[in-house]
Amino acid sequence: MSGRDVVIVDGVRTPFAKSGGVLKSVHPADLGKTALKELIARTNLDVNLVEEVIMGNAGNPVDAVNVSRVVALGAGIPLKTSAYTVHRNCASAMESIASGYERIKSGTMDVVIAGGTESMSQMPLLMSSAFTKLFEKLGAAKTAGQRLGILGSLLKADVKQIIDMVTTAPLAETPYKPIIGVVKGLTDPFVGINMGQTAEILAKEFGLSREDQDAFALLSHQKAVKATKEGRLRPEIAPVFLPPSFSDVVNDDVGPRDGQSMEALAKLKPFFDRATGTITAGNSCPITDGAAAVLLMSREKAKALGYKPLATIRSYGFAGLEPERMGLGPAYSTPVALKRAGLSMKDIGLVELNEAFAAQVLSCLKAFDSDDFAQKRLGLNSKIGGVSPDIVNVNGGAIALGHPVGATGTRLVVTLMKEMHRRDVQFGLATLCIGGGQGGSMILEKEA
Amino acid sequence: MSIQESIQLSYDGELAFIDFDLYGEKVNKLNTPIMMRLKEVLDEVRTSKARAVIFRSKKNKIFIAGADIDEIKSMNKREEFVKAVENGQAIINMIEDLPMPTIASIHGACMGGGCELVLACDYRIASEDSSTRIGLPETKLGIIPGFGGCVRLPRVVGVQAALEIILQGKTVVVAKALKMGLVDKCVHAGILEKETIKWAKEIVSKGGKKRKATYKPKSMVNSILESFVGRPVVFSKARETVLKSTHGHYPSPLKAVDVISKTYGMADRTEALRIEREAFADMALTDVSRSLIHVFYLTEMVKKQTGIAEGSTSTAKDVDHLGILGAGTMGGGIAYVAADKGVHVRMKDINNEALSRGFKHAYDLWAKLLKRRSINKFEFQQKIDLVTGGLDFAGFGQMDVVVEAIVEDMEIKKKVIGETAKHMRPDAIIATNTSSLSVTEMAKGHPHPAYFAGMHFFNPVHKMPLVEVIRGEQTSDETTATIFELSKRMGKMPVVVKDGPGFLVNRLLLPYMSEAAFLLNEGMSIEVVDEAYVKEFGMPMGPFALMDEVGLDVCIKVLKIFKKAFGARIEMAPCMEVLEKTGRLGRKNNKGFYLYDEKGNRGAVDQSIYSELGLKPATNPLTTKECIERGVFMMINECSLALLEDRIVETPHEVDLAMIMGTGFPPFRGGLLKYADSVGTEYIVDQLESYAVAKGARLKPHNPLRNMAKTKRTFYN
Repeated sequence: MSGRDVVIVDGVRTPFAKSGGVLKSVHPADLGKTALKELIARTNLDVNLVEEVIMGNAGNPVDAVNVSRVVALGAGIPLKTSAYTVHRNCASAMESIASGYERIKSGTMDVVIAGGTESMSQMPLLMSSAFTKLFEKLGAAKTAGQRLGILGSLLKADVKQIIDMVTTAPLAETPYKPIIGVVKGLTDPFVGINMGQTAEILAKEFGLSREDQDAFALLSHQKAVKATKEGRLRPEIAPVFLPPSFSDVVNDDVGPRDGQSMEALAKLKPFFDRATGTITAGNSCPITDGAAAVLLMSREKAKALGYKPLATIRSYGFAGLEPERMGLGPAYSTPVALKRAGLSMKDIGLVELNEAFAAQVLSCLKAFDSDDFAQKRLGLNSKIGGVSPDIVNVNGGAIALGHPVGATGTRLVVTLMKEMHRRDVQFGLATLCIGGGQGGSMILEKEA
Repeated sequence: MSIQESIQLSYDGELAFIDFDLYGEKVNKLNTPIMMRLKEVLDEVRTSKARAVIFRSKKNKIFIAGADIDEIKSMNKREEFVKAVENGQAIINMIEDLPMPTIASIHGACMGGGCELVLACDYRIASEDSSTRIGLPETKLGIIPGFGGCVRLPRVVGVQAALEIILQGKTVVVAKALKMGLVDKCVHAGILEKETIKWAKEIVSKGGKKRKATYKPKSMVNSILESFVGRPVVFSKARETVLKSTHGHYPSPLKAVDVISKTYGMADRTEALRIEREAFADMALTDVSRSLIHVFYLTEMVKKQTGIAEGSTSTAKDVDHLGILGAGTMGGGIAYVAADKGVHVRMKDINNEALSRGFKHAYDLWAKLLKRRSINKFEFQQKIDLVTGGLDFAGFGQMDVVVEAIVEDMEIKKKVIGETAKHMRPDAIIATNTSSLSVTEMAKGHPHPAYFAGMHFFNPVHKMPLVEVIRGEQTSDETTATIFELSKRMGKMPVVVKDGPGFLVNRLLLPYMSEAAFLLNEGMSIEVVDEAYVKEFGMPMGPFALMDEVGLDVCIKVLKIFKKAFGARIEMAPCMEVLEKTGRLGRKNNKGFYLYDEKGNRGAVDQSIYSELGLKPATNPLTTKECIERGVFMMINECSLALLEDRIVETPHEVDLAMIMGTGFPPFRGGLLKYADSVGTEYIVDQLESYAVAKGARLKPHNPLRNMAKTKRTFYN
């Protein structure tokens, strides 16, 4: 391992917007391009210097399977520069930074753009098994008579589909209903439960009340609204001009609700466990569209080019745990990252901990502060270290801003880095839980 | 020896190859020596044992670009034209009459004589390359196809498609050529040679038949239109369309219709070609053709120019990243033409609304191309991706050139230029798109005036080909060359001009527009004046419509600047003084001399304007001849000062190019000064003298023009 430092010159993101909202018709590649173009402009970057573009993405758009390459070329990165897409589910855009970090740290490269993009609005509806079979048959049919027969079956299947749509629950699967890609993506393929259900498990195991969770969610909105109103997030946001009129310009995150209240939150029904559950749409993050990108360099290169980087990456760490408790991921990955950085939790002055669910964040905070957890689950001597809620997600988190799966990792790093400068904090932690049962953490040090 | 090398004959087994490779040139052209060599080669191959003949080119992306224009230009007697064309036709006939099948293997431009040559072949195969374009552009030079094109093209592709190509002087891309039957096959350029040979061998093995491709209509409507019943309708419709778009100023398309209608289906080839030849000679002798060939040379001149004096050691720098200050109509237009040619563009404006308009301007133009299928959706996306924007100077550190297109105010511009320069590399260039302010004065706002120049686009930017590249006193050669080259890359025709009020084009246009206002004061109607200029003189629009386009406020503002700069010889018509107070701005606010609909389309003259300007109802007391002469001669008069005294440009060629490309001055007149020469300076001076006596001192001929008249000199020598 070389002694090279890897620095983040700057970072930028698009506004985040709830899926089906203002950004729904923007292709994920175009979201990524918006972030990259703005990053390149703000850093006055000579694009010829870029050696690799790494983008995180979870939805894997069918018309842009290596979406990173599409983003790179569209953003004006030269043809000669390679680009690839990484997928670590919710941490894809933290993995992209980690991958870039490794390339630079090893001395292989000097300049890498990393980031992530996601349009959860544009995740596809897939054809169900019954229809797939019929279309396969139709393709193989040789005579007009055969075709006519299959068309008849199709008509019957259509009728069954309509009946199923009307008579079954919206998310219930039948052989006839189209499969909703985004729902599949949010269901664990190993243990077969939905992400919300993993949060229910944590809420029950950590004894988190509905009120605690709603209070946390409310605070997230309040902090995000305040930060937005004060223009604190503007420096990290690249506006999106919407074609064809371009007169609609999205400058700010769409999620934060100014009038959010405990009463309004209390009215929502538990979504995943109707009878005894506490997880609602109000104390979970919404599915979201957005993109983010950072410019990574070796310290030597940044200096030679006259840049004043915002942060150094001190370390990163990923770790695995039971898929059904995936929300606790940060409690597993953070000690790894701390150890690699040679730091302890006391040193951390600011934290961005992704808010997939209020229950999951609160569980992590409890776990950080628990000797028992550390000893039993992590095999450590004592607790990782308590974190004051005052330094966590100070500008609000995903419950208000949203969580575009493949972009969030970079968004956390960008937001953290900028706030570390505003608060003059030396060390910061960005961490998030990962569907499938992992956690990811990254530790930054502020550059003077 | 060189002529021998220019067309090479070789054999491989039973195939003969005729390769065009014009000695010492980048392109293949047809001229008398080459045609004689072709004859020699054809004589040899005719009696050879070859069972098929393949015609190819050894040039990169050029098959045959057409006839040598120099040769056409050098001839001026009817007999010369007739003789030259007759010889050419006979040689093309030799190809048609070869006893063995002939195959044209086309890669690159195949135009004019080149197209006529391949039409005489039995079979045609072309590369799919974007450089491969086939067509007959002769009417653009005021002539008609003379080597059998008028006779053979309609036979191969049908009357309707042939008229479309010949009357508009069009070239078609391979996909279209294939669809219309102009070529039989198309393949990737990389395998063209192999496929041609394979096909030739196939033809030989099947008996080596000759073939005369004839058009077969695919639909019933087409069968009728192409038959003897429908053809007269097609021809009369074609004549009508030509007359409508040319107002009868361009005789050659009509002549082409005559030739095609007379010769179509004619069994007697000799007679058909005689008709074509005579018609060609008729056209080649017209002034229109002479003028259009002159214009062709003007555009060729720009292609070779660099914008700086020969012998200068400076060269143009590459421009990959272009910044634009101000995303208005001009800024958005400039963003479009730059990004359309692959330049990365960054616009800066003061708010998102302004930026939106810039984005939309470019987007809408590309959307039109997409709808017309000139580009596909991927190309569309790539172009859009090249345009970004912001409210600050982000990205300006990477800009090679920034074009300033903000409000026309010297102090604001100077300040913004100084501020912008701080955010750019010290060797980057700033260019102003000002239409009326001094570039030298504005350069004072730039820390290094050597890196500052004018780059004056005309509105609408995507349509008007002219860019005036303005050299300020301190503008360096390198800066001038870079802006010149950038203009060419954007598909524009740059002309380098010296700094001075209105530079070249607006300086000449202003007295012309101003004179129109005097005509209005004297009782002429807007319709009569504008129509005279359009229909009689051939301008794309009359002076009043032009003023509406430019903006009435701008006209008045510039008039005042001119008055200050040039003193008494600039006069403002009384009605212009009143106009200033009416709030009419022209197209900009849909209120001008004309009425506009909500989409901004120009309608009829706004009849209420006469009373608003305090004018009596128009009585049209003047002849249209006087109206035209006063306007056009005022331009010529002003030009004598601009060219000969102030040396705004160095040559009459540049004046003519600028006026045609910047104002649409009728190309068939060859440009303002070619026109002046054709009328004669003596006549112009005499007329101006008499107009000056009757209508005011502003019409007095200036000294340089007077001197020319005295010594009977023309502008061009």
